[in-house]
Amino acid sequence: MGTASKHAILQGSPGERMSLLGNLAIVRGAIEAGIQFFSCYPGTPSSEVGDTFARIAGEADVVFEYSVNEKITVEIAFAASLTGARAMCGMKHLGLAYACDPASTMPYVGVEGGLVIVSAGDPSAITSPNEQDQRHFARFLYFPVFDPSTPDDALQMTRFAFEFSEKTRLPVILRPTTRVCHSSGMVELGPLPDQRNEIRFTKDPSRYVPIPVNARRMRVEMRDRFKKAEDLLAASAFFPRTGGGRLGIIASGVAYAYTSQVIEELGLASDVTLQQVGAYPIPESVLDDFTKTVDSVLVVEQLTPFVEECVSLSAFRNGRSMPVLGKHSGHFPSEFEYTPDLVEDVVREFVGRERRKRTSVSVPDLPPRPPVLCPGCPHRATFYVAGKVFGKKTVYCNDIGCYTLGYGEPLHACDVLLCMGSSISQASGIARMTGRRTVAYLGDSTFFHSGLPALTNAVQANDNITVVILDNYITAMTGFQPSLTTVPPASMEAQSTPSAGFSIEAAVRGLGVTEVYSIDPYDEDEAVEAFKKAKDGTGVSVVVSHSPCAVHDRRIRKGQAQAPFTIDQERCNACSLCVRQLGCPAILVTDGTYTIDADLCTGCGLCARVCQHDAIQRLTPERV
Amino acid sequence: MNASDDRSDKTGWRILIAGTGGQGVLTAARLLSEAFVELGHDVVSGQLHGMAQRGGSVQSSVIINGGISPVIASGRADVVLGFEPVETARTLPLMSDRTVVYMNTAPVVPFILGQRYILKKEDAEYPDVKGLIDRVSEATPRVCAFDATEIAVETGSAKAVNIVMLGCLLGSGVLPCLADVFWDIVARKIPPRLADVNAAAFSRGLDVGGRLQTLEGAR
Repeated sequence: MGTASKHAILQGSPGERMSLLGNLAIVRGAIEAGIQFFSCYPGTPSSEVGDTFARIAGEADVVFEYSVNEKITVEIAFAASLTGARAMCGMKHLGLAYACDPASTMPYVGVEGGLVIVSAGDPSAITSPNEQDQRHFARFLYFPVFDPSTPDDALQMTRFAFEFSEKTRLPVILRPTTRVCHSSGMVELGPLPDQRNEIRFTKDPSRYVPIPVNARRMRVEMRDRFKKAEDLLAASAFFPRTGGGRLGIIASGVAYAYTSQVIEELGLASDVTLQQVGAYPIPESVLDDFTKTVDSVLVVEQLTPFVEECVSLSAFRNGRSMPVLGKHSGHFPSEFEYTPDLVEDVVREFVGRERRKRTSVSVPDLPPRPPVLCPGCPHRATFYVAGKVFGKKTVYCNDIGCYTLGYGEPLHACDVLLCMGSSISQASGIARMTGRRTVAYLGDSTFFHSGLPALTNAVQANDNITVVILDNYITAMTGFQPSLTTVPPASMEAQSTPSAGFSIEAAVRGLGVTEVYSIDPYDEDEAVEAFKKAKDGTGVSVVVSHSPCAVHDRRIRKGQAQAPFTIDQERCNACSLCVRQLGCPAILVTDGTYTIDADLCTGCGLCARVCQHDAIQRLTPERV
Repeated sequence: MNASDDRSDKTGWRILIAGTGGQGVLTAARLLSEAFVELGHDVVSGQLHGMAQRGGSVQSSVIINGGISPVIASGRADVVLGFEPVETARTLPLMSDRTVVYMNTAPVVPFILGQRYILKKEDAEYPDVKGLIDRVSEATPRVCAFDATEIAVETGSAKAVNIVMLGCLLGSGVLPCLADVFWDIVARKIPPRLADVNAAAFSRGLDVGGRLQTLEGAR
């Protein structure tokens, strides 16, 4: 890494405008606020926040870590705040749900240095098993929640949030959604800090220990601090009102951006009063002023009718009878992302305009391009070998990571799935009730994230399960963040040496598992032998399958790739066994002819071993 | 024409870039965005790539002086740069009869298309490219379909498809920027070893882009 010039995000002068990705705008806002600590567990769409801090932590003098899980990342960031540091931690919505236990008491105890939890939302569950509306944390656990509509909002809100957190002693949540995280837009830079908080932990147990007698006192203090938060938000810049007219629209998140676009394009500024909601709790004064100004209200917000219910309640309390249209009225759904078209249609109806005609040309049936395990992915090899030994009747409990793609044809490696680390507990539950040995599949990062306590539980109950830990030395699906088994960059050459980093086997044995097998999934004989032993064992058995992520391996060891394979057309009788067993995307089938895309093939050779006709051979220079 | 289009004068330019993972869609969007920001314009850009990986569908919007929304509404794209026929057809809802479309006719056949038939007995045909061009031409008369991959290969690298397509965009005359001014900015952002190939690809793209402009003039 050159040190000649600072990372672009650490440069720029106050007032300068530039285009930034939403996630990078959050980093910039935190830098401007003088952040001193950052931790995260990666999760789409939040990952670029942590990945950027990983790159700049040194030059920005920020203490950084990729934590083992979100509960820990929240706890450690909170503790950093107690030393006076301005601290932030990052995760996706599911991570915040996982961290709810520590999070729920943090507003009681209160922070010292400003603390911001970035918890990215994923409406429409684009890269998640569910969608959630984290704005409810404002009511549920007394966290002020910021809800940016654009990257510029994200920057300004993040910068504001640290001082706001210190003034109220409340930890705050910044909740950008996918469209804000992964869009770039114009932002206005602020000044970089000239001083930072002093680090000092002052002992004061009655202040930091929420035993019941203290917790009840804290509960009352928290009520007053939350009221102060509402007052500070009322004076903030995050509730702008534009336009004028007796028709009122109140909007939040990226749906506000869509709404403002429609109002501008339809020239409605003099007919419609548009109120943005940028944070929660929505100050009562904002709601009162807004409902006082208009005769009817349309609420434009994604997911639950959160703003809608606040507006209705405020109007009711102030004795104003007015239609409040939104989700309860059936104008908008509570499921999934809004689109600009949906927002435009409803706004047009609200202001009495006709619907815009759309193109009459329909989209023809087009082939999908679904995500699949990459060519050369070692998970495919593990699933293939384990499937051979355990067969089709065994229940396979899968987990969160690339290996979820073992779902469906042709690998059938995913019968149930719930959340991070659930594979082991689900295998325990199913094995205990069915009396049959059940298999759990999970990756290295997920194992350390939340598999460890589940494995401890299975050992305690002596469950009849086989846990297969797919160790590819990296957290691949979220963009190649390091895991405990990742080899430090200095010894990158040893990347493919099993357990060059942290030893999964030692951890598992330490819990009392005696049947522990280490395999290379590409050494088929050895792997089959290990899976047979694991299957025939009693109680918990563990197979650790070590092989580097093929994509990451190619990126870091450029030029050392293995020669690809090719299919000898004279020997191939198109039996389709390779496709039915493996489904590797490098195998192309065109009009009944099987070929291998030499550009995609990583040379792993798994298909050559599956082929019964010796038709798949490594491409040697003579064959090229 | 859109008879019911009661919008006040629409501002800005909305460009949708569509292709598959590995074709350089996101790079093209980034270069376009950065260049127009340097030229003093406001640019908003959005990505749609789900679980991005090689071979998946990738779309990116680049909106110049067109407000704060990163998502282009249906019928609102001024230009579609389609790096691949199927991916171009996926953007049909964003087109109106005024949309300018540059469409690469070289397919990237989904990896698992042939395998799907074996595994699920599902339809395994890649759609007829001519049929896809016809469908796009029904939406807008301003379509230029050509083999951008062949041009990229001729200039030295199949990976330069994205630069050929950016050349088309600048050659179309739709954007408020001269092609050589644009290229002066973009060339500084490209690794030196790729400079010659990309300059040639951009130049060839410009010629194709201008072809549509000439047709427009004749009409």
